[in-house]
Amino acid sequence: MSLLQNINLWGDDIPYLSGLREKNRISFEKRGLPDSKTEDWRFSYFKQDDMQNPVIDNEPIKCEGHCHSNDKLPFNALQIRYCNGKLHIEDWNLPNGVVIKSLIEAVYDGDIKSYLNKSFNPDDFPFAALNGAYLEQGLFILIERGTVLSEPLYIKYHNSADKNRLCNIRNTVVAENGAKATVIEHFCAEENAVYTQNVVNEIFVGNNAELNHYVWQNEAKSAHHISLNSVQVKSGGNYSAFCANGTCKFSRYESYVRLLQSGAAAEINGVYKLSETEQVCDITTNIRHLSPHTYSNQLVKGVAKVRAKGVFQGQIHIAPDAQQCEGHQLHRALLLNDGAEIDCKPELEVFADDVKCSHGASSGDLDKEQIFYMQARGISEDEARKILVDAYLNEVFALNKNPDISEWIKEQF
Amino acid sequence: MAEKPQIADFSGDKYKYGFVTDIESDAAPCGLNEDIIRLISAKKNEPQWLLDRRLKAYRHWLTMSEPHWAKLKYDEVDFQALRYYSAPVQKVKPKSLEEVDKNLLETYNKLGIPLKEQEALAGVVAVDAVFDSVSVATTYRAKLAEQGIIFCSISEAVQKHPDLVQKYLGSVVPYTDNFYACLNSAVFTDGSFVYIPKGVKSPLELSTYFRINAKNTGQFERTLIVAEDDSYVSYLEGCTAPQRDENQLHAAIVEIVVMNNAEVKYSTVQNWYPGDKDGKGGVYNFVTKRAVCRGVNSKISWTQVETGSAVTWKYPSCVLQGDNSSGEFYSVAITNNKQQADTGTKMVHLGKNTRSKIISKGISAGFSNQTYRGLVDVASNADKARNYSQCDSLLIGSTCGSHTVPYIRNRNKSAILEHEATTSKISEEQLFYCMQRGLSAEEAVGLIVNGFCKEVMQKLPMEFAIEAAKLINISLEGSVG
Repeated sequence: MSLLQNINLWGDDIPYLSGLREKNRISFEKRGLPDSKTEDWRFSYFKQDDMQNPVIDNEPIKCEGHCHSNDKLPFNALQIRYCNGKLHIEDWNLPNGVVIKSLIEAVYDGDIKSYLNKSFNPDDFPFAALNGAYLEQGLFILIERGTVLSEPLYIKYHNSADKNRLCNIRNTVVAENGAKATVIEHFCAEENAVYTQNVVNEIFVGNNAELNHYVWQNEAKSAHHISLNSVQVKSGGNYSAFCANGTCKFSRYESYVRLLQSGAAAEINGVYKLSETEQVCDITTNIRHLSPHTYSNQLVKGVAKVRAKGVFQGQIHIAPDAQQCEGHQLHRALLLNDGAEIDCKPELEVFADDVKCSHGASSGDLDKEQIFYMQARGISEDEARKILVDAYLNEVFALNKNPDISEWIKEQF
Repeated sequence: MAEKPQIADFSGDKYKYGFVTDIESDAAPCGLNEDIIRLISAKKNEPQWLLDRRLKAYRHWLTMSEPHWAKLKYDEVDFQALRYYSAPVQKVKPKSLEEVDKNLLETYNKLGIPLKEQEALAGVVAVDAVFDSVSVATTYRAKLAEQGIIFCSISEAVQKHPDLVQKYLGSVVPYTDNFYACLNSAVFTDGSFVYIPKGVKSPLELSTYFRINAKNTGQFERTLIVAEDDSYVSYLEGCTAPQRDENQLHAAIVEIVVMNNAEVKYSTVQNWYPGDKDGKGGVYNFVTKRAVCRGVNSKISWTQVETGSAVTWKYPSCVLQGDNSSGEFYSVAITNNKQQADTGTKMVHLGKNTRSKIISKGISAGFSNQTYRGLVDVASNADKARNYSQCDSLLIGSTCGSHTVPYIRNRNKSAILEHEATTSKISEEQLFYCMQRGLSAEEAVGLIVNGFCKEVMQKLPMEFAIEAAKLINISLEGSVG
């Protein structure tokens, strides 16, 4: 079955929306799914057959138990839910200065027009183009000028096992000048569910605004998860993201950040832990310093066991004349078995001379001395390894600004 | 402090080695087809098996397309406009240097390779000089022959040592490898052949100076080095080319086979015409260099100083097959004006306890662009493989670019891989410090850059190290002022 299925979507009668869908559809048709020859996907790609013929489900939402009540979280949060790729619209009790709408509603109201599909070129991102061809499900979140959200926005995506779905979700998050917010994305599913999650987040961070973005990707084992976070940061703005990956068969977390004006900063941190055969987990970042005095930092750490494959591709791009920028990147990985694989491509693209850029990558096993040290103190080798792996990943968790959220993810990770 | 005080362009230093030697050329017509390949083969009096290989490669090449993944922008090469064979006319093969064409010797003298003096300076370097496509003079052969070392042109080797050539030629870089290697396999005209027998340590550093001459001649050298068990050789390659307006294509292959406990050191200084300051002219350099460490405890070391060529596409690689084998790559690449270089290395770890080290120093100035592109690949059987990579870039001026694209693949848990890279510029403070002590801006930059490259320069043989240090200063002339 083709991935471009002819189905009726909400809003087909709106020329603006159907035009966007058409543009993305053409873009996807032109390139198709990426394969080993696609440079950005050469380490991590899958064949369409692996998805086992998913359907685009346009039946109305059928909510079950998990969707009705709020999750018990160790912190207060405003909760929003997706059920099988459909946004669960309810009466959100919104604080002042926050607007949350469904994508369709935002299209009808017109306030999404200056943002939707504006932050990237679908020709460069095949799955985002596929996502764009089905623009329907999604959120529009607007944090108005100067609003500081005390509670995080918690978005939960849940998939059930009854059907193999391809869920295309498009969220647009706008933090206006001086706004501050935290967004948590939590992906989960019934244990034996098979589905493909294809999420695109377009994030706009205004002058001196701050957005913290947490992604806890806890998908079902047989799922495919592809997400693109396309971010624009303006003067003095700060975007920081953290992702914890590694439960499903194939996952790719991609961050495409453009630092548009001076003083803009971004931080991308991630961890992955792989323990299933043939599992693939990819973290790809592309940080584009387009103005002088922009800053970025990345730290990604991973652990791979059995025949799993961990991939990190990071790019720091410094545009011509973007002087006095700073970009740092570090990827470290542990291979706990022979046969596990770590592929890494830390890339620097520098067109200005007065900059500070560095990248580093390392991979290897745990330090035998450290294991011995613990064994000498009565800790078994297995236990020692576990402690060391936890400590290894802890470095990334410790960078998170919100300790409650960080702890909550770490406990389940 | 003044705004961008030192950075201005007074490029204009004429390419010192830009001249054309006027000697009669015996050239094939432009263009490439099977007849041209048959002509090359016939001119060189080659056996049938080699012609068959060439034709096979040519037919495969027709099915390939030019690769475009490198960060290089250049005009398409018109392969039909090139001349694939050109040899200086000689009536009788010279027996000694005295018999060699005087013009030719003059050319080498201008380049600073006094062949004549070398015989007097006994025991310095043996030179197998390639002028365009045919070897014209080979020195010290007698001395090498005493030990059983074969050092001759590849066409001579085809005639005299067909078994060795047939066995090893194409065994490291097969004709299917890549577009340019395939082209070379079809049309290569000459190059060097080195065979070091078992247990022999070469008493001399073997050296070849390549030089492109005759208009529109693509030069397709083929070098093959075989080091048998327990042997050692250090091989030097140096290049210059005359000034020209048309772009000249250069697509060479270097193959090295290293057996048990053997060691090969391969050093290159590449100083081909980089084009003028507007990027006009200059050599296109698409080279495939690969060494395979077949035996246990074998060792290969690549050292390169790249200052020339308008476009460089070059990735000297090491396939570490034998257990305990090791590969090293030391590189200094300097680009100025509109030069572009996409260069790096590949380290493929297959055997146990294999070690590799990559030290790459890139200096970009003017409007040039430079990319380090490297692969470290550890197979699942390569227990305890170890790699250390360091790529440092220095930018001079705000109009150049420096890029680092390392690919790191690890499939073995006991392997330890490390990669580090930095990008920086020469600070005003460093310049000021040197200038305060009486150095000119240019001398100061030369000093700082030479310090930046020191780690690599130390790996070069003595004769080369001196030449290379001068070359760095010449290459950067005009980038700071």
